[in-house]
Amino acid sequence: MISPQLSHINPNPSFPFSNSTFPQSLPTKTLKPHFKPKPTPIVSVLQYNRKPQLSGETPRVVVITSGKGGVGKTTSTANIGLSLARLGFSVVAIDADVGLRNLDLLLGLENRVNYTAFEVINGDCRLDQALVRDKRWSNFELLCISKPRSKLPMGFGGKALIWLVDALKTRSEGCPDFIIIDCPAGIDAGFITAITPANEAVLVVTPDITSLRDADRVTGLLECDGIKDIKMIVNRVRTDLIRGEDMMSVLDVQEMLGLALLGVIPEDSEVIRSTNRGYPLVLNRPPTLAGLAFEQAAWRLVEQDSMKAVMVEEEPKKRGFFSFFGG
Amino acid sequence: MASISIALSLLQQQQPISIQTVIPSKHRLSSSLRVFSAKFERNSSYCYVKWNPQKIGKRFLLSVCCCSSENPENGRFGSNGVEGLGKFVSSLQGTIGTLTPVLNGIKGQVGKNYAVGLCIAIAFLLITIRAYTSRKSGYNRQGSVADLVKRGQLRSDRRGISKPLKYDDPFNNPLVKISENNSSVEMCGKVYRLAPVTLTEREQSNHQKRRSRAYQWKRPTMFIKEGDSIPPDVDPDTVRWIPANHPFATTVSDIDEGLAQNNVYQKHGVPFRIKAEHEALQRKLEALQNDQKLDKLGVDPSNARDFERPYKSFSKSNEHLEQRPSLNQNSNSTSPKSDRHPNTPNDNSSSEELQKP
Ligand SMILES: Nc1ncnc2c1ncn2[C@@H]1O[C@H](COP(=O)(O)OP(=O)(O)OP(=O)(O)O)[C@@H](O)[C@H]1O
Ligand SMILES: [Mg+2]
Repeated sequence: MISPQLSHINPNPSFPFSNSTFPQSLPTKTLKPHFKPKPTPIVSVLQYNRKPQLSGETPRVVVITSGKGGVGKTTSTANIGLSLARLGFSVVAIDADVGLRNLDLLLGLENRVNYTAFEVINGDCRLDQALVRDKRWSNFELLCISKPRSKLPMGFGGKALIWLVDALKTRSEGCPDFIIIDCPAGIDAGFITAITPANEAVLVVTPDITSLRDADRVTGLLECDGIKDIKMIVNRVRTDLIRGEDMMSVLDVQEMLGLALLGVIPEDSEVIRSTNRGYPLVLNRPPTLAGLAFEQAAWRLVEQDSMKAVMVEEEPKKRGFFSFFGG
Repeated sequence: MASISIALSLLQQQQPISIQTVIPSKHRLSSSLRVFSAKFERNSSYCYVKWNPQKIGKRFLLSVCCCSSENPENGRFGSNGVEGLGKFVSSLQGTIGTLTPVLNGIKGQVGKNYAVGLCIAIAFLLITIRAYTSRKSGYNRQGSVADLVKRGQLRSDRRGISKPLKYDDPFNNPLVKISENNSSVEMCGKVYRLAPVTLTEREQSNHQKRRSRAYQWKRPTMFIKEGDSIPPDVDPDTVRWIPANHPFATTVSDIDEGLAQNNVYQKHGVPFRIKAEHEALQRKLEALQNDQKLDKLGVDPSNARDFERPYKSFSKSNEHLEQRPSLNQNSNSTSPKSDRHPNTPNDNSSSEELQKP
């Protein structure tokens, strides 16, 4: 049970996720934010025909976290990381999921991970030997923190990540534009390690209250740690369920967490296929819906932008006669 | 399209009738049909029809030119149509007569019914082919379990694994279109309605305030073994206890912080531990050589040569070794095999990992 722990941390009854007040504290109208009377003008949400403008200082150290497990942190890290590389930025992805690492699998680099940061710390290899360069996009590199069965000495878990970021800054090929850290679930030692070097955070949530409660707590911890730039990705969104009022809409989620939106990723069966292939879906051709959404999220991350409009539901498309021929 | 207008003028020369707007689309249909069937014949495994207007335009023009060489026949056929039927049918007939070489062969003898029948047959064939190709493309789709087999994660004798494609122009994506008034977006052939984000700055800061009241937290910076007491001048909030059986974290380490940091910052040269191991081996060899016990120990000459290589390359730095007596202790017991694996012998887990494919 999470509740006793929560009320212990949070004596404040106004907290919208505390058990008893949670359902009632939300005014019912917030469940249908898109029926609000005065529609503000929508500005364009998608960008394609230009190179995104990198804002902020490099390296941008971004931790991708969630609190709850299995909501898509690793999927987001792989896809946003490779999108950034495709957009021309140099990226180092750090798999800080010490206990259950699987970013290498998603990227299809599992056979090339010989050394990890653990060996670097131990002096078994140099940092450049532990970085696995992706053959598809050579400006993308992967660094795993440790082998699944080795134990990370916590005396310098977080410190080691700071050293690693420092070492990457001063390396001869130049400082990477982005260092993306895949954070483990929970708020245990692994989480603490992963967030230590970060300047900004991407919170991955799914539109269900369990994920949202964890996300809220993690956001609170990140804010306590001084990470103020927190944006969220809402993953596994199903417009059909939202229309049927069976799933919270993205705007409902935003109303509950009060975080800027970096991206909305639809539920997509291509995700599992791309995992099987070890080939992140942003590299798929033809691109899939989720792939496009990840790409747009990466775009916003570069420009430190957030979404101004969200896709709410599918409209029937008027199909011309020649659509029969695939036109 | 330019090619179509040229074609229209060609047709108008041949036939005195006025040509309606239905003609261009009909042209496109029949010409694309031919492109398609040609492709299909040439390579029956080719299962993707590309709608390439430029290509089709060219082909179409070509076929028009071919047909115009058989002018007298066409003209006769065209004028017959005008007499018997309305404008629509005649133009349709004219199109078919001018453009389809298959029809060219037979149109002298047979009437319009046959042509219409043929059209229907071709359309039917097209539908069948399309259904077939879409089914086929469903079979060899990517990212199936077959890919896990290919990656060696699953054992299986399955075959037929397709190559992954690269989609490599992020700056030009024809699959995403935004409507003019920004109220909807088309992605991957589906149209979605857009709703503006309603979160305001004020709401955002209210949430931040709520969270800062709800959660007080300090990131732990000190990790100690479970059971140990907090050192005196340390904020107890920043201390985290790690149990001995923690799945991935430990407080024990055989390396000190300064050295670990140096290891991370090292840019060139031999990593510290490899160096230390080689030096230890070298010392061992040196000791053996000094004692002249090489033969008595039964070390065969090829093995001895293996020992000598690290001896030469690392003979210069001895002072480092003296700083780390504990490591020398470790390495002294190292067997020659350990210079293939840069792990210490007590580091079983990682050497296991290394050998794993
Ligand atoms: N948009 C999506 N559509 C469909 N499935 C998804 C989507 N996003 C993630 N998944 C699936 O959810 C599962 C968990 O994803 P992932 O491993 O990225 O989560 P995680 O947050 O990293 O998990 P963990 O907490 O264990 O590290 C995977 O099987 C993935 O295929
Ligand atoms: Mg993960």
